[in-house]
Amino acid sequence: MRRRTAHLLGWNAVGIGVFLVMVFPVFWMISTALKPEDQINSVTPTWFPTHPTFAHFRDALARPYFWTDVKNSVIVVLVTVAVAMVLAFLAALALSKYRFTGVKLFIVLMIGIQMLPAAGLIIPLYVVLARYHEVNTLTGVVLVYLTFALPFTVWTLRGFIIGIPPDLEEAAMVDGSTRFGAFIRILFPLVAPGLVATSVFVFITSWNEYIWARTLLSDSGKQTITVWLSYFMGTSRQTDWGALMAASTLTAIPVVLFFLAVQRRIAFGLTQGAVRG
Amino acid sequence: MGAILGYPIYNLVRLSLQKYGLFELLQHHGVSVGLHNFGSVLHDPVFWHTLVRTIVFTAVNVGLTMVVGTLFALLLVQVSMWVRVLLTVGLVLVWSIPPVVAVQIWNWMTNSQNGVLNYVLTELHVGNFFQHNWFETPFSQLAMVTTLVVWGALPFVAISVYAALSQVSRDLVEAAQIDGARGWRIFKDVTMPVIAPILLILTSLSILWDFGVFTQPFLLIGQGHVVPSNYLMGVYLYEEGYVKTDFGRGAAISILMLVMVALMSVVYVRRMLRMGEATA
Repeated sequence: MRRRTAHLLGWNAVGIGVFLVMVFPVFWMISTALKPEDQINSVTPTWFPTHPTFAHFRDALARPYFWTDVKNSVIVVLVTVAVAMVLAFLAALALSKYRFTGVKLFIVLMIGIQMLPAAGLIIPLYVVLARYHEVNTLTGVVLVYLTFALPFTVWTLRGFIIGIPPDLEEAAMVDGSTRFGAFIRILFPLVAPGLVATSVFVFITSWNEYIWARTLLSDSGKQTITVWLSYFMGTSRQTDWGALMAASTLTAIPVVLFFLAVQRRIAFGLTQGAVRG
Repeated sequence: MGAILGYPIYNLVRLSLQKYGLFELLQHHGVSVGLHNFGSVLHDPVFWHTLVRTIVFTAVNVGLTMVVGTLFALLLVQVSMWVRVLLTVGLVLVWSIPPVVAVQIWNWMTNSQNGVLNYVLTELHVGNFFQHNWFETPFSQLAMVTTLVVWGALPFVAISVYAALSQVSRDLVEAAQIDGARGWRIFKDVTMPVIAPILLILTSLSILWDFGVFTQPFLLIGQGHVVPSNYLMGVYLYEEGYVKTDFGRGAAISILMLVMVALMSVVYVRRMLRMGEATA
Protein backbone atom coordinates (compact mmCIF):
# COMPACT_ATOMS: atom_id res chain seq x y z
CA MET A 1 0.00 0.00 0.00
CA ARG A 2 2.76 2.44 0.88
CA ARG A 3 4.51 1.61 -2.37
CA ARG A 4 1.36 2.48 -4.26
CA THR A 5 1.07 5.83 -2.48
CA ALA A 6 4.71 6.59 -3.26
CA HIS A 7 4.06 5.69 -6.88
CA LEU A 8 1.00 7.92 -7.02
CA LEU A 9 2.93 10.82 -5.50
CA GLY A 10 5.64 10.34 -8.10
CA TRP A 11 3.19 10.32 -11.00
CA ASN A 12 1.35 13.32 -9.60
CA ALA A 13 4.63 15.22 -9.40
CA VAL A 14 5.34 14.36 -13.04
CA GLY A 15 1.79 15.39 -13.96
CA ILE A 16 2.15 18.78 -12.28
CA GLY A 17 5.55 19.23 -13.94
CA VAL A 18 4.02 18.56 -17.37
CA PHE A 19 1.17 20.95 -16.57
CA LEU A 20 3.60 23.74 -15.64
CA VAL A 21 5.75 23.33 -18.75
CA MET A 22 2.77 23.14 -21.13
CA VAL A 23 0.90 26.07 -19.64
CA PHE A 24 3.95 28.28 -19.13
CA PRO A 25 3.78 30.07 -22.52
CA VAL A 26 0.17 31.05 -21.90
CA PHE A 27 0.97 32.15 -18.36
CA TRP A 28 3.94 34.14 -19.65
CA MET A 29 1.76 35.92 -22.21
CA ILE A 30 -0.75 37.05 -19.58
CA SER A 31 1.91 37.83 -17.01
CA THR A 32 3.85 39.99 -19.49
CA ALA A 33 0.71 41.79 -20.58
CA LEU A 34 0.11 42.89 -16.99
CA LYS A 35 3.67 43.88 -16.03
CA PRO A 36 5.03 47.43 -16.08
CA GLU A 37 7.62 48.29 -18.73
CA ASP A 38 10.74 48.05 -16.50
CA GLN A 39 9.85 44.52 -15.34
CA ILE A 40 9.36 43.39 -18.94
CA ASN A 41 12.61 44.82 -20.25
CA SER A 42 14.86 43.70 -17.42
CA VAL A 43 17.25 40.85 -18.26
CA THR A 44 16.25 39.05 -15.05
CA PRO A 45 12.59 38.15 -15.48
CA THR A 46 9.93 38.91 -12.90
CA TRP A 47 7.72 35.85 -12.77
CA PHE A 48 4.49 37.32 -11.45
CA PRO A 49 3.09 40.76 -12.20
CA THR A 50 3.62 42.18 -8.70
CA HIS A 51 2.47 45.63 -9.79
CA PRO A 52 -0.23 44.79 -12.34
CA THR A 53 -1.12 47.47 -14.85
CA PHE A 54 -3.65 47.62 -17.69
CA ALA A 55 -1.60 50.17 -19.61
CA HIS A 56 -0.56 47.64 -22.27
CA PHE A 57 -4.15 46.66 -22.91
CA ARG A 58 -5.01 50.34 -23.38
CA ASP A 59 -2.05 50.70 -25.77
CA ALA A 60 -3.11 47.67 -27.77
CA LEU A 61 -6.71 48.84 -28.04
CA ALA A 62 -5.61 52.28 -29.15
CA ARG A 63 -3.47 50.97 -32.01
CA PRO A 64 -4.63 51.77 -35.53
CA TYR A 65 -7.13 49.36 -37.07
CA PHE A 66 -7.61 47.21 -33.96
CA TRP A 67 -11.34 47.79 -33.74
CA THR A 68 -11.88 47.77 -37.51
CA ASP A 69 -10.13 44.44 -37.81
CA VAL A 70 -11.97 42.96 -34.83
CA LYS A 71 -15.19 44.04 -36.51
CA ASN A 72 -14.07 42.41 -39.78
CA SER A 73 -13.27 39.18 -37.95
CA VAL A 74 -16.65 39.18 -36.23
CA ILE A 75 -18.49 39.74 -39.54
CA VAL A 76 -16.54 37.02 -41.34
CA VAL A 77 -17.00 34.54 -38.50
CA LEU A 78 -20.73 35.15 -38.02
CA VAL A 79 -21.58 34.97 -41.71
CA THR A 80 -19.45 31.86 -42.20
CA VAL A 81 -21.04 30.11 -39.23
CA ALA A 82 -24.60 31.00 -40.24
CA VAL A 83 -24.27 29.99 -43.89
CA ALA A 84 -22.25 26.87 -43.07
CA MET A 85 -24.85 25.67 -40.58
CA VAL A 86 -27.80 26.02 -42.96
CA LEU A 87 -26.05 24.45 -45.94
CA ALA A 88 -24.38 21.71 -43.94
CA PHE A 89 -27.57 20.75 -42.18
CA LEU A 90 -29.45 20.35 -45.45
CA ALA A 91 -26.58 18.46 -47.08
CA ALA A 92 -26.22 16.18 -44.06
CA LEU A 93 -29.94 15.50 -44.12
CA ALA A 94 -29.78 14.54 -47.79
CA LEU A 95 -26.76 12.34 -47.18
CA SER A 96 -28.29 10.43 -44.30
CA LYS A 97 -32.01 10.22 -45.14
CA TYR A 98 -32.25 9.84 -48.83
CA ARG A 99 -30.34 7.34 -50.93
CA PHE A 100 -28.81 8.50 -54.13
CA THR A 101 -25.98 7.27 -56.27
CA GLY A 102 -22.56 8.72 -55.71
CA VAL A 103 -22.85 9.00 -51.92
CA LYS A 104 -19.57 7.21 -51.53
CA LEU A 105 -17.79 9.47 -53.98
CA PHE A 106 -19.29 12.47 -52.24
CA ILE A 107 -17.99 11.30 -48.87
CA VAL A 108 -14.52 10.64 -50.25
CA LEU A 109 -14.49 14.11 -51.81
CA MET A 110 -15.52 15.68 -48.54
CA ILE A 111 -12.91 13.95 -46.44
CA GLY A 112 -10.39 14.56 -49.19
CA ILE A 113 -10.91 18.31 -49.27
CA GLN A 114 -10.60 18.42 -45.51
CA MET A 115 -7.17 16.87 -45.84
CA LEU A 116 -5.77 19.22 -48.46
CA PRO A 117 -3.25 21.71 -47.14
CA ALA A 118 -4.58 25.25 -47.43
CA ALA A 119 -1.32 26.32 -49.04
CA GLY A 120 -2.03 24.01 -51.98
CA LEU A 121 -5.28 25.74 -52.85
CA ILE A 122 -4.19 29.35 -52.49
CA ILE A 123 -3.24 29.79 -56.12
CA PRO A 124 -6.37 28.47 -57.86
CA LEU A 125 -8.80 30.10 -55.43
CA TYR A 126 -6.93 33.39 -55.61
CA VAL A 127 -7.14 33.39 -59.38
CA VAL A 128 -10.82 32.43 -59.36
CA LEU A 129 -11.67 35.12 -56.83
CA ALA A 130 -9.64 37.67 -58.79
CA ARG A 131 -11.74 36.85 -61.84
CA TYR A 132 -14.91 37.71 -59.94
CA HIS A 133 -13.30 40.72 -58.25
CA GLU A 134 -13.63 39.18 -54.81
CA VAL A 135 -10.00 39.68 -53.84
CA ASN A 136 -9.65 42.15 -50.99
CA THR A 137 -13.28 41.71 -49.94
CA LEU A 138 -14.70 39.98 -46.90
CA THR A 139 -17.10 38.07 -49.17
CA GLY A 140 -14.15 36.34 -50.83
CA VAL A 141 -12.78 35.29 -47.46
CA VAL A 142 -16.16 33.96 -46.37
CA LEU A 143 -16.44 31.91 -49.57
CA VAL A 144 -13.03 30.37 -48.95
CA TYR A 145 -13.81 29.59 -45.31
CA LEU A 146 -17.03 27.90 -46.37
CA THR A 147 -15.12 25.67 -48.77
CA PHE A 148 -13.04 24.43 -45.89
CA ALA A 149 -15.73 24.41 -43.20
CA LEU A 150 -18.48 22.59 -45.08
CA PRO A 151 -16.83 19.16 -45.41
CA PHE A 152 -16.27 18.89 -41.67
CA THR A 153 -19.66 20.22 -40.68
CA VAL A 154 -21.58 18.01 -43.14
CA TRP A 155 -19.61 14.98 -42.01
CA THR A 156 -20.19 15.65 -38.32
CA LEU A 157 -23.89 16.50 -38.65
CA ARG A 158 -24.45 13.39 -40.74
CA GLY A 159 -23.13 11.38 -37.79
CA PHE A 160 -25.65 13.07 -35.48
CA ILE A 161 -28.60 12.55 -37.83
CA ILE A 162 -27.80 8.91 -38.46
CA GLY A 163 -27.82 8.32 -34.70
CA ILE A 164 -31.54 9.23 -34.55
CA PRO A 165 -33.80 6.21 -35.11
CA PRO A 166 -36.21 6.79 -38.05
CA ASP A 167 -38.98 5.22 -35.93
CA LEU A 168 -39.15 8.42 -33.90
CA GLU A 169 -40.00 10.50 -36.92
CA GLU A 170 -42.44 7.93 -38.26
CA ALA A 171 -44.17 7.69 -34.90
CA ALA A 172 -44.70 11.45 -34.96
CA MET A 173 -46.17 11.26 -38.45
CA VAL A 174 -48.45 8.37 -37.47
CA ASP A 175 -49.66 10.60 -34.63
CA GLY A 176 -50.79 13.13 -37.22
CA SER A 177 -47.73 15.31 -37.58
CA THR A 178 -46.65 16.51 -41.02
CA ARG A 179 -43.22 15.68 -42.33
CA PHE A 180 -42.16 19.25 -41.58
CA GLY A 181 -43.75 19.13 -38.12
CA ALA A 182 -41.93 15.93 -37.33
CA PHE A 183 -38.74 17.52 -38.53
CA ILE A 184 -39.10 20.58 -36.31
CA ARG A 185 -40.32 18.75 -33.20
CA ILE A 186 -38.33 15.51 -33.32
CA LEU A 187 -35.27 15.78 -35.51
CA PHE A 188 -34.22 19.34 -34.80
CA PRO A 189 -33.95 19.14 -30.99
CA LEU A 190 -31.95 15.92 -31.30
CA VAL A 191 -29.50 17.45 -33.77
CA ALA A 192 -29.20 20.72 -31.84
CA PRO A 193 -26.14 19.64 -29.81
CA GLY A 194 -24.44 18.71 -33.05
CA LEU A 195 -25.26 22.10 -34.52
CA VAL A 196 -23.84 23.85 -31.47
CA ALA A 197 -20.64 21.83 -31.51
CA THR A 198 -20.00 22.25 -35.22
CA SER A 199 -20.79 25.95 -35.24
CA VAL A 200 -18.32 26.50 -32.42
CA PHE A 201 -15.77 24.55 -34.41
CA VAL A 202 -16.35 26.74 -37.46
CA PHE A 203 -16.24 29.84 -35.25
CA ILE A 204 -12.85 28.87 -33.85
CA THR A 205 -11.23 27.85 -37.14
CA SER A 206 -12.44 31.00 -38.93
CA TRP A 207 -11.35 33.28 -36.09
CA ASN A 208 -7.90 31.65 -35.99
CA GLU A 209 -7.43 31.47 -39.75
CA TYR A 210 -4.39 33.32 -41.04
CA ILE A 211 -3.09 32.26 -44.45
CA TRP A 212 -6.22 33.09 -46.48
CA ALA A 213 -7.00 36.32 -44.74
CA ARG A 214 -3.41 37.35 -45.27
CA THR A 215 -3.37 36.43 -48.96
CA LEU A 216 -6.75 37.85 -49.88
CA LEU A 217 -6.99 41.00 -47.78
CA SER A 218 -4.33 43.59 -48.50
CA ASP A 219 -5.82 46.83 -47.09
CA SER A 220 -5.14 47.47 -43.41
CA GLY A 221 -8.75 48.47 -42.88
CA LYS A 222 -10.07 45.24 -44.38
CA GLN A 223 -7.97 42.69 -42.53
CA THR A 224 -8.93 40.29 -39.80
CA ILE A 225 -7.57 40.30 -36.27
CA THR A 226 -5.04 37.49 -36.82
CA VAL A 227 -3.47 39.39 -39.73
CA TRP A 228 -3.46 42.55 -37.63
CA LEU A 229 -1.68 40.69 -34.85
CA SER A 230 0.87 39.16 -37.22
CA TYR A 231 1.95 42.64 -38.40
CA PHE A 232 2.37 43.89 -34.84
CA MET A 233 6.10 43.18 -34.62
CA GLY A 234 7.12 44.68 -37.93
CA THR A 235 5.95 48.18 -37.18
CA SER A 236 9.01 49.35 -35.25
CA ARG A 237 12.56 48.30 -34.50
CA GLN A 238 12.01 47.99 -30.78
CA THR A 239 9.05 45.70 -30.17
CA ASP A 240 6.58 46.78 -27.51
CA TRP A 241 6.35 43.34 -25.90
CA GLY A 242 3.83 44.38 -23.27
CA ALA A 243 1.35 45.68 -25.83
CA LEU A 244 2.02 42.71 -28.12
CA MET A 245 1.22 40.24 -25.34
CA ALA A 246 -1.86 42.25 -24.35
CA ALA A 247 -3.05 42.15 -27.97
CA SER A 248 -2.32 38.41 -28.15
CA THR A 249 -4.34 37.85 -24.98
CA LEU A 250 -7.27 39.78 -26.41
CA THR A 251 -7.14 37.77 -29.66
CA ALA A 252 -7.09 34.47 -27.80
CA ILE A 253 -9.88 35.21 -25.29
CA PRO A 254 -12.96 34.50 -27.48
CA VAL A 255 -11.48 31.24 -28.72
CA VAL A 256 -10.43 30.06 -25.28
CA LEU A 257 -13.90 30.69 -23.87
CA PHE A 258 -15.72 28.81 -26.62
CA PHE A 259 -13.16 26.05 -26.61
CA LEU A 260 -13.47 25.37 -22.90
CA ALA A 261 -17.23 25.20 -23.38
CA VAL A 262 -17.30 22.46 -26.00
CA GLN A 263 -13.90 20.79 -26.19
CA ARG A 264 -15.16 17.30 -25.42
CA ARG A 265 -17.45 17.18 -28.42
CA ILE A 266 -14.81 18.47 -30.77
CA ALA A 267 -12.19 16.07 -29.48
CA PHE A 268 -14.38 13.12 -30.29
CA GLY A 269 -15.92 14.64 -33.38
CA LEU A 270 -12.59 14.83 -35.14
CA THR A 271 -11.73 11.22 -34.54
CA GLN A 272 -14.61 8.93 -33.78
CA GLY A 273 -17.80 10.56 -32.53
CA ALA A 274 -18.35 12.25 -35.86
CA VAL A 275 -18.89 8.95 -37.56
CA ARG A 276 -20.47 7.14 -34.67
CA GLY A 277 -23.03 9.76 -33.81
CA MET B 1 -21.40 21.46 -53.46
CA GLY B 2 -19.44 19.25 -55.80
CA ALA B 3 -18.95 22.45 -57.77
CA ILE B 4 -17.52 24.32 -54.77
CA LEU B 5 -14.94 21.61 -54.33
CA GLY B 6 -14.41 20.61 -57.94
CA TYR B 7 -14.04 24.03 -59.51
CA PRO B 8 -10.82 25.06 -57.71
CA ILE B 9 -9.24 21.72 -58.56
CA TYR B 10 -10.23 22.06 -62.22
CA ASN B 11 -8.80 25.57 -62.21
CA LEU B 12 -5.63 24.37 -60.54
CA VAL B 13 -4.98 21.82 -63.28
CA ARG B 14 -5.71 24.35 -66.01
CA LEU B 15 -3.47 26.98 -64.42
CA SER B 16 -0.60 24.53 -64.10
CA LEU B 17 -0.56 24.15 -67.88
CA GLN B 18 -0.46 27.90 -68.52
CA LYS B 19 1.86 30.83 -68.25
CA TYR B 20 -0.09 32.90 -65.74
CA GLY B 21 1.59 35.92 -64.21
CA LEU B 22 0.41 39.32 -63.07
CA PHE B 23 -0.33 40.39 -66.64
CA GLU B 24 -2.46 37.33 -67.29
CA LEU B 25 -4.20 37.81 -63.94
CA LEU B 26 -5.37 41.25 -65.04
CA GLN B 27 -6.41 39.87 -68.43
CA HIS B 28 -8.08 36.85 -66.77
CA HIS B 29 -6.53 34.78 -69.49
CA GLY B 30 -3.44 32.56 -69.53
CA VAL B 31 -1.23 31.30 -72.32
CA SER B 32 -0.98 27.55 -72.67
CA VAL B 33 2.54 26.21 -72.23
CA GLY B 34 1.92 22.48 -71.89
CA LEU B 35 3.95 20.76 -69.22
CA HIS B 36 6.59 23.50 -69.07
CA ASN B 37 5.72 24.49 -65.48
CA PHE B 38 6.10 20.94 -64.23
CA GLY B 39 9.43 20.58 -66.02
CA SER B 40 10.67 23.83 -64.53
CA VAL B 41 9.68 22.79 -60.99
CA LEU B 42 11.09 19.27 -61.27
CA HIS B 43 14.41 20.67 -62.51
CA ASP B 44 14.60 23.17 -59.68
CA PRO B 45 17.04 21.95 -57.00
CA VAL B 46 15.21 24.15 -54.45
CA PHE B 47 12.11 22.00 -54.94
CA TRP B 48 13.97 18.77 -54.17
CA HIS B 49 15.85 20.23 -51.20
CA THR B 50 12.61 21.65 -49.82
CA LEU B 51 10.85 18.33 -50.30
CA VAL B 52 13.53 16.41 -48.41
CA ARG B 53 13.61 19.06 -45.66
CA THR B 54 9.83 18.93 -45.34
CA ILE B 55 9.81 15.13 -45.13
CA VAL B 56 12.42 15.18 -42.36
CA PHE B 57 10.58 18.00 -40.59
CA THR B 58 7.29 16.09 -40.82
CA ALA B 59 8.85 12.86 -39.56
CA VAL B 60 10.41 14.61 -36.55
CA ASN B 61 7.29 16.60 -35.71
CA VAL B 62 4.85 13.72 -36.08
CA GLY B 63 7.18 11.36 -34.20
CA LEU B 64 7.56 13.77 -31.29
CA THR B 65 3.85 14.64 -31.23
CA MET B 66 2.71 11.02 -31.24
CA VAL B 67 5.25 9.65 -28.74
CA VAL B 68 5.01 12.50 -26.24
CA GLY B 69 1.24 12.76 -26.72
CA THR B 70 0.79 9.06 -25.97
CA LEU B 71 3.06 9.37 -22.92
CA PHE B 72 0.91 12.29 -21.68
CA ALA B 73 -2.20 10.14 -22.14
CA LEU B 74 -0.64 7.27 -20.18
CA LEU B 75 0.33 9.78 -17.50
CA LEU B 76 -3.28 10.98 -17.31
CA VAL B 77 -4.32 7.43 -16.43
CA GLN B 78 -1.75 7.16 -13.63
CA VAL B 79 -2.31 10.39 -11.71
CA SER B 80 -4.91 11.24 -9.06
CA MET B 81 -8.23 12.69 -10.05
CA TRP B 82 -7.41 16.32 -9.24
CA VAL B 83 -4.11 16.24 -11.14
CA ARG B 84 -5.96 14.73 -14.11
CA VAL B 85 -8.51 17.54 -14.11
CA LEU B 86 -5.75 20.15 -13.73
CA LEU B 87 -3.71 18.67 -16.57
CA THR B 88 -6.72 18.29 -18.87
CA VAL B 89 -7.76 21.90 -18.34
CA GLY B 90 -4.16 22.96 -19.03
CA LEU B 91 -4.06 20.92 -22.23
CA VAL B 92 -7.37 22.32 -23.46
CA LEU B 93 -6.12 25.83 -22.73
CA VAL B 94 -3.00 25.22 -24.84
CA TRP B 95 -5.10 23.64 -27.56
CA SER B 96 -7.30 26.68 -27.80
CA ILE B 97 -4.49 29.20 -28.34
CA PRO B 98 -4.67 30.55 -31.92
CA PRO B 99 -1.52 29.72 -33.94
CA VAL B 100 -0.76 33.39 -34.65
CA VAL B 101 -0.93 34.16 -30.92
CA ALA B 102 1.34 31.20 -30.19
CA VAL B 103 3.86 32.52 -32.72
CA GLN B 104 3.92 35.90 -30.96
CA ILE B 105 4.44 34.24 -27.57
CA TRP B 106 7.33 32.24 -29.05
CA ASN B 107 8.82 35.43 -30.53
CA TRP B 108 8.76 36.99 -27.11
CA MET B 109 10.05 33.97 -25.19
CA THR B 110 12.94 33.27 -27.60
CA ASN B 111 14.05 36.81 -28.36
CA SER B 112 17.79 37.16 -27.87
CA GLN B 113 17.78 40.36 -25.76
CA ASN B 114 15.71 39.35 -22.75
CA GLY B 115 13.78 36.25 -23.75
CA VAL B 116 12.84 34.01 -20.85
CA LEU B 117 14.17 30.90 -22.65
CA ASN B 118 17.77 32.13 -22.65
CA TYR B 119 17.46 33.13 -19.00
CA VAL B 120 16.06 29.78 -17.86
CA LEU B 121 18.58 27.71 -19.86
CA THR B 122 21.46 29.76 -18.46
CA GLU B 123 20.13 29.53 -14.90
CA LEU B 124 19.71 25.75 -15.23
CA HIS B 125 23.38 25.59 -16.31
CA VAL B 126 22.53 23.99 -19.65
CA GLY B 127 25.11 26.38 -21.05
CA ASN B 128 25.69 30.06 -21.56
CA PHE B 129 22.73 31.31 -23.54
CA PHE B 130 23.19 35.00 -22.75
CA GLN B 131 21.80 36.84 -25.82
CA HIS B 132 21.78 33.56 -27.75
CA ASN B 133 20.12 33.99 -31.14
CA TRP B 134 17.74 31.11 -31.81
CA PHE B 135 17.17 32.12 -35.41
CA GLU B 136 20.75 32.09 -36.62
CA THR B 137 20.85 28.89 -38.69
CA PRO B 138 18.12 27.15 -40.72
CA PHE B 139 18.46 24.17 -38.38
CA SER B 140 17.77 26.13 -35.22
CA GLN B 141 15.01 28.11 -36.95
CA LEU B 142 13.23 24.90 -37.86
CA ALA B 143 13.94 23.46 -34.41
CA MET B 144 12.08 26.44 -32.93
CA VAL B 145 9.23 25.90 -35.39
CA THR B 146 9.17 22.27 -34.27
CA THR B 147 8.80 23.18 -30.58
CA LEU B 148 5.95 25.51 -31.52
CA VAL B 149 4.13 23.00 -33.73
CA VAL B 150 4.54 20.10 -31.30
CA TRP B 151 3.44 22.21 -28.34
CA GLY B 152 0.27 23.15 -30.18
CA ALA B 153 -0.44 19.61 -31.42
CA LEU B 154 0.16 17.69 -28.17
CA PRO B 155 -3.17 18.42 -26.44
CA PHE B 156 -5.32 17.01 -29.26
CA VAL B 157 -3.25 13.82 -29.41
CA ALA B 158 -3.02 13.39 -25.64
CA ILE B 159 -6.73 13.92 -25.04
CA SER B 160 -7.79 11.67 -27.94
CA VAL B 161 -5.45 8.85 -26.88
CA TYR B 162 -6.62 9.23 -23.28
CA ALA B 163 -10.22 8.81 -24.45
CA ALA B 164 -9.21 5.63 -26.28
CA LEU B 165 -7.29 4.36 -23.24
CA SER B 166 -10.42 4.53 -21.13
CA GLN B 167 -11.80 1.73 -23.30
CA VAL B 168 -9.01 -0.63 -22.27
CA SER B 169 -10.62 -3.20 -19.99
CA ARG B 170 -9.27 -3.23 -16.43
CA ASP B 171 -9.99 -6.96 -16.18
CA LEU B 172 -7.70 -7.68 -19.10
CA VAL B 173 -4.90 -5.63 -17.54
CA GLU B 174 -5.35 -7.41 -14.22
CA ALA B 175 -5.45 -10.81 -15.90
CA ALA B 176 -2.20 -9.96 -17.67
CA GLN B 177 -0.67 -8.87 -14.35
CA ILE B 178 -1.67 -12.16 -12.71
CA ASP B 179 -0.02 -13.95 -15.61
CA GLY B 180 3.16 -12.07 -14.70
CA ALA B 181 3.18 -9.40 -17.40
CA ARG B 182 4.77 -6.07 -16.50
CA GLY B 183 4.76 -2.48 -17.78
CA TRP B 184 5.97 -2.55 -21.38
CA ARG B 185 4.52 -6.02 -22.04
CA ILE B 186 1.06 -4.96 -20.88
CA PHE B 187 1.24 -1.82 -22.98
CA LYS B 188 2.31 -3.74 -26.08
CA ASP B 189 -0.09 -6.67 -25.87
CA VAL B 190 -3.14 -5.37 -24.00
CA THR B 191 -3.28 -1.59 -24.42
CA MET B 192 -1.82 -1.22 -27.90
CA PRO B 193 -4.42 -3.28 -29.81
CA VAL B 194 -7.21 -1.16 -28.32
CA ILE B 195 -5.68 2.22 -29.08
CA ALA B 196 -4.04 1.24 -32.38
CA PRO B 197 -6.91 2.48 -34.63
CA ILE B 198 -6.97 5.90 -33.00
CA LEU B 199 -3.17 6.13 -33.14
CA LEU B 200 -3.33 5.37 -36.85
CA ILE B 201 -5.87 8.11 -37.51
CA LEU B 202 -4.00 10.64 -35.36
CA THR B 203 -0.71 9.82 -37.09
CA SER B 204 -2.20 10.26 -40.57
CA LEU B 205 -3.85 13.53 -39.57
CA SER B 206 -0.60 14.82 -38.05
CA ILE B 207 1.38 13.88 -41.15
CA LEU B 208 -1.05 15.80 -43.36
CA TRP B 209 -1.09 18.85 -41.11
CA ASP B 210 2.66 19.01 -40.59
CA PHE B 211 3.49 18.39 -44.25
CA GLY B 212 1.39 21.37 -45.30
CA VAL B 213 2.20 23.63 -42.33
CA PHE B 214 2.48 27.32 -43.25
CA THR B 215 1.54 29.81 -40.55
CA GLN B 216 4.08 28.74 -37.93
CA PRO B 217 7.25 28.61 -40.10
CA PHE B 218 6.22 31.66 -42.12
CA LEU B 219 5.57 33.88 -39.12
CA LEU B 220 8.09 32.54 -36.60
CA ILE B 221 11.04 32.62 -38.97
CA GLY B 222 9.63 35.91 -40.20
CA GLN B 223 8.53 37.04 -43.60
CA GLY B 224 11.79 38.79 -44.35
CA HIS B 225 13.82 35.77 -43.28
CA VAL B 226 12.20 32.88 -45.15
CA VAL B 227 14.82 31.90 -47.73
CA PRO B 228 15.40 28.75 -49.83
CA SER B 229 17.63 27.29 -47.10
CA ASN B 230 14.77 27.16 -44.57
CA TYR B 231 11.76 26.63 -46.87
CA LEU B 232 9.13 24.06 -46.03
CA MET B 233 6.71 23.03 -48.80
CA GLY B 234 3.93 25.39 -47.70
CA VAL B 235 6.26 28.39 -47.58
CA TYR B 236 8.02 27.40 -50.82
CA LEU B 237 4.69 27.25 -52.62
CA TYR B 238 3.59 30.61 -51.23
CA GLU B 239 6.85 32.35 -52.17
CA GLU B 240 7.17 30.82 -55.66
CA GLY B 241 3.55 31.10 -56.69
CA TYR B 242 1.94 33.97 -54.86
CA VAL B 243 4.78 36.32 -53.90
CA LYS B 244 6.52 36.03 -57.28
CA THR B 245 3.06 36.13 -58.96
CA ASP B 246 3.94 33.14 -61.13
CA PHE B 247 0.59 31.42 -60.66
CA GLY B 248 1.11 28.79 -63.35
CA ARG B 249 4.29 27.53 -61.73
CA GLY B 250 2.69 27.80 -58.29
CA ALA B 251 -0.20 25.68 -59.52
CA ALA B 252 2.25 23.02 -60.74
CA ILE B 253 3.88 22.95 -57.29
CA SER B 254 0.43 22.75 -55.66
CA ILE B 255 -0.51 19.76 -57.79
CA LEU B 256 2.71 17.92 -56.98
CA MET B 257 2.11 18.66 -53.30
CA LEU B 258 -1.54 17.66 -53.38
CA VAL B 259 -0.71 14.37 -55.13
CA MET B 260 1.77 13.56 -52.37
CA VAL B 261 -0.79 14.45 -49.71
CA ALA B 262 -3.45 12.39 -51.46
CA LEU B 263 -1.18 9.35 -51.50
CA MET B 264 -0.44 9.82 -47.82
CA SER B 265 -4.09 10.20 -46.87
CA VAL B 266 -5.27 7.00 -48.57
CA VAL B 267 -4.94 5.16 -45.27
CA TYR B 268 -6.96 7.76 -43.40
CA VAL B 269 -9.71 8.08 -45.99
CA ARG B 270 -10.17 4.32 -46.28
CA ARG B 271 -10.46 4.03 -42.53
CA MET B 272 -13.01 6.84 -42.27
CA LEU B 273 -14.99 5.37 -45.14
CA ARG B 274 -15.17 2.00 -43.43
CA MET B 275 -16.37 3.65 -40.22
CA GLY B 276 -18.89 5.65 -42.23
CA GLU B 277 -20.26 2.54 -43.87
CA ALA B 278 -20.58 0.72 -40.57
CA THR B 279 -23.13 3.31 -39.46
CA ALA B 280 -24.81 3.94 -42.81
